[in-house]
This record gives sequence, structure tokens and C-alpha cells, in this order.
Amino acid sequence: MAEATARGMGEWTLGALVDLVFRILRDELLSVGPEFTPRSSLVESGLDSLAVTQLLLAIEERTGVWLDESLLTPENLASAETLAACVHEQLRRAG
Amino acid sequence: MSSSAAPADLPLTGGDCFLRAFDAEARAWHHASHCSQLVLRLGPGFDAAAFRTVLSEAVRANPIVRAPIVRPWGVAPPVYRLARAERCAPPRVLVHEAAAPPPATDGRPLPEVFFARLNEVMSLRRGELLRFDVVRWEDGRSDLAMTWAHMLCDGSGSERFVSWLERCHRGERRPDDLTPDEAFGAAETAGDGLPEATWRERGRLATLWQARMKALGEPPPRSLAGPRRRLRQRLRYTLDTLGPDETVRVVTRAREQAGFLTPVLFYLAAAIRAHDAVFRKRGLEAASYVVPLPVNLRPRGHAKGALFRSHVSILWFQVRPEQAQDLAGLVGALKEQRLASIKAGLVEHGAVAMDLARYAPKRFYAWMARQMLHGEAGSCFFAFTNDFLPDATSFFGAPIENGFHAPAVMPSPGSGAIMSLREGRLNFTHVYQEGVLADDERALLRERLLADLRGG
Repeated sequence: MAEATARGMGEWTLGALVDLVFRILRDELLSVGPEFTPRSSLVESGLDSLAVTQLLLAIEERTGVWLDESLLTPENLASAETLAACVHEQLRRAG
Repeated sequence: MSSSAAPADLPLTGGDCFLRAFDAEARAWHHASHCSQLVLRLGPGFDAAAFRTVLSEAVRANPIVRAPIVRPWGVAPPVYRLARAERCAPPRVLVHEAAAPPPATDGRPLPEVFFARLNEVMSLRRGELLRFDVVRWEDGRSDLAMTWAHMLCDGSGSERFVSWLERCHRGERRPDDLTPDEAFGAAETAGDGLPEATWRERGRLATLWQARMKALGEPPPRSLAGPRRRLRQRLRYTLDTLGPDETVRVVTRAREQAGFLTPVLFYLAAAIRAHDAVFRKRGLEAASYVVPLPVNLRPRGHAKGALFRSHVSILWFQVRPEQAQDLAGLVGALKEQRLASIKAGLVEHGAVAMDLARYAPKRFYAWMARQMLHGEAGSCFFAFTNDFLPDATSFFGAPIENGFHAPAVMPSPGSGAIMSLREGRLNFTHVYQEGVLADDERALLRERLLADLRGG
């Protein structure tokens, strides 16, 4: 919740979102080693439907944005970077 | 480094103990073990001698597959006593000769010996955890069943084990090359996927989960078998395999109805509706249906590629019979429940509760579930395990023509739908307790389920 209270919806930069998504995945949801980067394939890193849902809940908690299911395409879920870009776009539209 | 480098005792996970509770119930009430079965339908060329050789080397290097399960001092959480595994007999491999089958693979009968094996008792204290049966048909093709005490590995682990044996046969791996982490997840962590928390916090989370279970009992759920009663376990199963084109249509339909991420809810809805159809045919009024959905914890725990031990939690769904009347509406309701359950942390709470149950008497978990659910353990069993052995096309020299899971279903609820995909074809296994469903009811269940899958 710290980020959500510290930032308004429009104050998230793409870089900050990439870092946020990357850290949630690395530290909370996936069992990955140092080779995991913001550009790593999420599916190959063990992302499954449960982890995606938990990730969406964590993103909503920290940014206030809930990603609609229609946005959960293989392209958007390719890496932490692509997912963060999708969240960024939603924030931009909401802002 | 082989997993023999592991400690003398290896704790069972919370998921193992969950399954062990139902194993204890099956022994006490149904004269059977709680096993699971993986079946490979093979073309010609299966090399039984090579299989025995690789398996015996794998068993020597991985004592867990024949380690007695004991509770130290009678009160501590149960463990695999790896140090005593050598005193136990290795897993049995029996080859049965059969008459020639019909020419088409899908028309090949399922061997009776496979059903019998699912209903036997395994001695956990003697390390009887794993058995193999090979039925060799006159035309050279074979069917292979791996039957195991379900706590030894979950469905995903069983596929990893079989796949690893094949890779050993091909020389890509060695029977003694599994690290302890690869064999059974992090050895020091009994309950994979658990949040780091104090005992008090764990108690609080388990209490939340218990409250959820209690809520599932109101209104009282019902299964086709009715509440648990004493009877001998006599499980059988049937297999339906859809063609490739039809499977593409079903998979597309599942994604359209339930979403790219959760097509499993489409299959679950179809399974619930199929059972509901039998309820209605009987004129039975169930107040609610409650169905468990196993959730793989591997990506979140320390057991990413683990073969052995169970690395699962469970999501529970509750459906009113009127919700089962509309497939799309039911899928929507299941999606809402799934999201709410995950949001409430019930996957983690369930894992914590299972972990705490390791300290309880072995039948505690099953007893508690039956208490909460008015003698039931769910209205039916369901599992969808995605792609079956996606990386394997052959097994010890024989092409894999098909493969599927057939886990034991407790005589109450007495019926379960298990689905998976093998090389672009959908397999539906209906596991049932003999006597729970009349022939016409089984036909209705199958017909309704396949109709929902196919649509139109």
C-alpha cells in the first residue's frame, strides 16, 4: 500500500511500474533466481493463472488500477516490462 | 548428487498430510488406500527389461519411493524414513499378457487390473508407495499404469517422474542425478508456498480458512453417493478422447467462456452441470454443490520442479443448483468466487491449515472436512491438469499413443471428472465408485458433460 499512498494514479512513471511489477514477481510470486530480469519470459519463469491473479491484485492495491481480463493477452503477459507498459497505459487513460 | 544425500527423515508436506488423512479414512472405512494412477497407452516396442533396470537404479538413488512413512515417537509430524528405505522392497513391476485388442487405439479396452490396483491397500509403514503394471497386447502394444500412494507425489510430480525416467533411458539424465530440491522441493521446508509467519499468525490464517470451510457447509452440500458410510472401495473409470479438431473447438470455447487465463473454470462448470443432471434425473434436491479444485503451489514455493511430495493447496467452490442451469452464468459465478478466494488469501490460508494439520492425528483433516460439510467431502471430484507429458513422445522404446490421470475418488462423493490434454486431444476420465451411479446415470453424466464441452 506504501506506493499507492505515496503516489497518485498519474504519478507512476513507466520505469517505476516496471520496477514494481518486477519486484512483486521476483519477491512474492515466483521462485526465480538472479537470471530473472524485467525482460524474462513470465511463462517460462513459472507464471500461472493463480500468480497472474495475485499479481493483478497486488498491482491494484498499489496503483489503484485493475486490469480488465481482456488485457491479459499473451503479448501483455510476455514479461514484467510488457505488463508494466499495459498498466502504464491504463493509468494514463484513467488519469 | 542424488536425493540419497537428503537427511534420514524427510517431513511430509501439508498437502501430503491432507492426502494421508483421506488415505487413513479409506483404510478405516473402505478397505483400500488412497492412490492415484497415471496411465500410458503405448504403441509397439516397450522395453520392459530396460524399464526395470532404470527403475531399480532410480529407486536405489531415490529412497523416498520406498521409504516407510512413520510418525516419530507417535506424536511428531509424519516423515518419510529415508534411512530405512533399503530394508523395504522396491516398487513392483508386473507384466500381464492380454488377448489382442481391437485395432483402434481408442477402442482398446482399459485393463481390469488397473481398476483392481486402484482399490488395493498399500502398506505405508513398509514403504509400499509405488507399483507398475504393464498389460502387453498380442499386437505388441502395451498399456502401463503407475499406481502410487497419492501423498508420494501429486499429478504434476508424477508426470515429472515418468518424464525423468524416460530421459534416463535416453541417456539425457542419470538415475542418480536428482538434487534434493529437484526430487522433493526444498528439504528444509515442510510446507511449500507458506507465507513466513509466526505460529500465532499461522493459527489466525488457519482459523480464517476453517471459517471458510464452515461457510461451505451452509447450506449443506450433497454428493451423488451421499455422506460417508462404510463400504468397500470399488473404483472404476472410463475414458473419452476427443479428436484433434474437436479438441481445438473445445479449447477455444473454454477460453471464450472462461478467459485466456482460467479455461479450467469452463471444464469445472461442465463437470458440475453433468453431476447436477444426475441429481435432477433422480429428483434429488441438493441445497448446494461444493467442489474442490487443486491448485499447484510450485511456482510460488521452493519446489519449482519437484517430483515427489504434494505441492498443492485447494480452492473450494460453492454452487446452488439453480446456478448450474446456465453454463455461461455458472462460469461467471465460478470466476467471481475464484477471484474473491484468491483476494481473501484462501490459497495461502489453506496451505497453512494443511501444514498445521501435520501435527494433528492422521485422520484429522478428513474428519474436519466431513464435520464441516455434513459428512460429505465435496459434491464431486474435479481436476484439469493441462498438457499431459508435453515433452514426451515415447516411453522406453514405444510411442506414447495416449496418456491420462485416474486419481482415486473417495467412495463418498463417489464420482469425479478428470481432464487433460495429450498431443492436442482432450481426455476425459470419469472415475466412479461402483454402485453410486446406475448405467443410465453414467451415460447421462457423460452425455451432458461432452455436450457442454462441445457446445451448440
